[in-house]
Amino acid sequence: MECVITIELGTNAVRVFAFSLSGELLASMKGSYPTFHIQPDYSEQDPEQIFITMLYVLKNLLNEKIHPQKIKVRCICFSASMHSVLAIDENGVPLGNAITWSDNRGKKVAAALNALPACKKIYTATGTPIHPMSPLIKIAWMNENDKERFKRSSKFLSIKSYIVQQLTGKYCIDYSLASATGLLNIHTLNWEPDALAFAGIKADKLPELVPVFHSPGRLLKAYQTSLGLPAGVKILIGSSDGCLATLGAGVWGEGKATITIEDSGAVRIVGKKVLQDEKQRFFNYLLTKSYYVSGGPTNNGGVIFDWFTRQFGEFKNPFDIEYSMDTLMSEAAKVDAGSEGLLFLPYLLAERAPIWNPNARGCYFGLNINHGRQHFIRATIEGILYEIYSIGKTLQEHRSIKSLSINGSFASIPFCAQIIADMFNKPLYASKQSNNSIGLGAFLLSAVEMGIYKTIDEAAQTVVVPDRYKPNKQNHKIYNSYFRIFESLSVKLFDEFESISNLQQQPC
Amino acid sequence: MNQFYLQQNAARELQPFPHIVELALKKNNAIRLDSLNTTAINSLRIYYVIDGKFEWLIHERQHILYPGDVAMILPGQKFGGGKGFLDIGTLCWINIKIERIDPAGKLVPGKWSSLSENERSTIGKILMMNNRPLHLQLKEAGLILEKIKAELCCQEIGFNTRVNHLIDELFIIITRGLTRQNNTLRNFPQTFLRLEQQLRQRLDYQWTVDEMAALVGLGTTAFNEKVKNYTGFSPLNYLINIRISEAIKLLKRGEASVTAIALDTGFYSSQHFSTTFKKLTGFTPSEFRKNNLLQK
Repeated sequence: MECVITIELGTNAVRVFAFSLSGELLASMKGSYPTFHIQPDYSEQDPEQIFITMLYVLKNLLNEKIHPQKIKVRCICFSASMHSVLAIDENGVPLGNAITWSDNRGKKVAAALNALPACKKIYTATGTPIHPMSPLIKIAWMNENDKERFKRSSKFLSIKSYIVQQLTGKYCIDYSLASATGLLNIHTLNWEPDALAFAGIKADKLPELVPVFHSPGRLLKAYQTSLGLPAGVKILIGSSDGCLATLGAGVWGEGKATITIEDSGAVRIVGKKVLQDEKQRFFNYLLTKSYYVSGGPTNNGGVIFDWFTRQFGEFKNPFDIEYSMDTLMSEAAKVDAGSEGLLFLPYLLAERAPIWNPNARGCYFGLNINHGRQHFIRATIEGILYEIYSIGKTLQEHRSIKSLSINGSFASIPFCAQIIADMFNKPLYASKQSNNSIGLGAFLLSAVEMGIYKTIDEAAQTVVVPDRYKPNKQNHKIYNSYFRIFESLSVKLFDEFESISNLQQQPC
Repeated sequence: MNQFYLQQNAARELQPFPHIVELALKKNNAIRLDSLNTTAINSLRIYYVIDGKFEWLIHERQHILYPGDVAMILPGQKFGGGKGFLDIGTLCWINIKIERIDPAGKLVPGKWSSLSENERSTIGKILMMNNRPLHLQLKEAGLILEKIKAELCCQEIGFNTRVNHLIDELFIIITRGLTRQNNTLRNFPQTFLRLEQQLRQRLDYQWTVDEMAALVGLGTTAFNEKVKNYTGFSPLNYLINIRISEAIKLLKRGEASVTAIALDTGFYSSQHFSTTFKKLTGFTPSEFRKNNLLQK
């Protein structure tokens, strides 16, 4: 038997999957690594620890599940979180930690660019919203605030580029991941001169641009030996988590949207054209030259319900959050849709799409004397999902959405899936592998490269979507009337969000 | 309870317990200046507040103790009243001479204690953890001190063993209280990140799973399972991840010798380091370094 290995360099962990050539999941393993917050807005990861963890997990998976069964590895395909930046010196040695997508140190730099006329031009060219998440802003920040490191940097890589270079010796970045850097012109597929100028770098400071099907070369001899892999194993650079989660959800065509909710979330659609938004609210990332994945990200997904559970859930056993969440979910189900008029704005971590407000904060609204604990639970869940709906609704200003597909641990909870279907008033599908869509997407990409499928469209069609949630019209009506208030509060509170956020940032 | 004051060499009750320096309960009705100036303590003291409010300086940090609070002062730490005197109120304390707390953080109480080797090491480490004040709300401690007093006065059958057991118990409940103090047992990611920071601070130390579990406030079995579930690795394998990652950084920096790096990152020897490193990366540490220096 033969297999494809996919390696997903995620936000908190590396996940390694093995798929048979027909797309059946053979084995999977994960290994986590920490995120360091040395200052409030900083989020960093150690590239060496990511590398070692990846190697360790891959080795364990091969030794325990693949080699003993005499399964032959044909191909290893990578995916990674978007927006990371790692500076390396002229010897390829990392200059400090990698800066991850959730790092906000570039707030002021982003605000400054937003005020410039160049902003709109850069957004139109690159398709990436002007936000501290974007490597464009991170590099510009370094140029202004960490001059020593900036000067010593011979290249600015993504975490994936570093990991792949460690294994093969080659520096490269796929167009897909590059399209999330804010530095790539997604129309011409070259680094965008205006963006480079703002970041203060020349194109030679970035890795070589390659298609997602590119193979940077063979595994270095030492890794062939330590992993027990032959020289012929093909290494594929692959794509980003967002694009592959969309492919893995089987959403590839007009009228479909994918909703992903893990800790954070996103609503995405696929199209052959860039989605140009006047208000610059959406991203446009490339999978291949002919497909754009467009959509909006939210900071406040499952992580908000985790927070709620830790504060207010009951813990039977130490750290047993799953039990506690299940209990809360079943309590929430006892309250009618709409939580009898208790609304929750979930902006505990500020917000990206669609309001793009770094000062936004959480809020319960509409509380009356008859509301109880169960209403709070349900309102919290509904608030997280109203936010998802609000991204979807804004997307519908540009494209019509006929059906939805969900993935990610939070969206896949049946209680949440039903609420999403009701809010959107659209049929909703959950694939069998809704918890590993990224891995499946990476497999499908490899399978296209290997000629198992002729096109990406054909590959996407093989994703089975058995679970179907039908929208409840009655509930949709209720959600719709509350959503109007949710939507207007999110905008109306702009000044108050700013004032409270300023007060919160003052030292006590 | 009434006031009492038992002191080694003076009180007959303490004769069988040479390690107990003092056991006392004091109702302080008036402030006397300079009654509690800050000095370095050479024994281990446990104070329990019954009544009143006490402002103290412990180990150069200010603490305010209320009824039900316990403070433990370790040998060598400085201790005194915030204003140089003992505040008004009632408090109870025991003063114990322990053999030592060794440099690795192991508590060596003396022959009288029946704590196991492992427990001594874990308890010592948690008590020594510098970022945690040894001050917590713990009503149980007051009860134990009362029991010790009762055993000493009544001298019923087995009191010898009972008193020593009660002192051990005091160590145990204070340590448990400390691990729970900063840890609600709800947020594993956060708790684990804190543990990881502690591991990184002392990477050269030979951590045991028991010690790591105790720092988190879990039993060993539950700890193993949680870590495996969360990180994908057993606690010791996770530790190897951190060690090798740090070693890689040091190798690339190209200054320290391989042996020094091995010991700094917690491997027993350069041989142990080499074997582990090669198994994972396919390179020996020296080959790995050479590869990275070659590019220069």
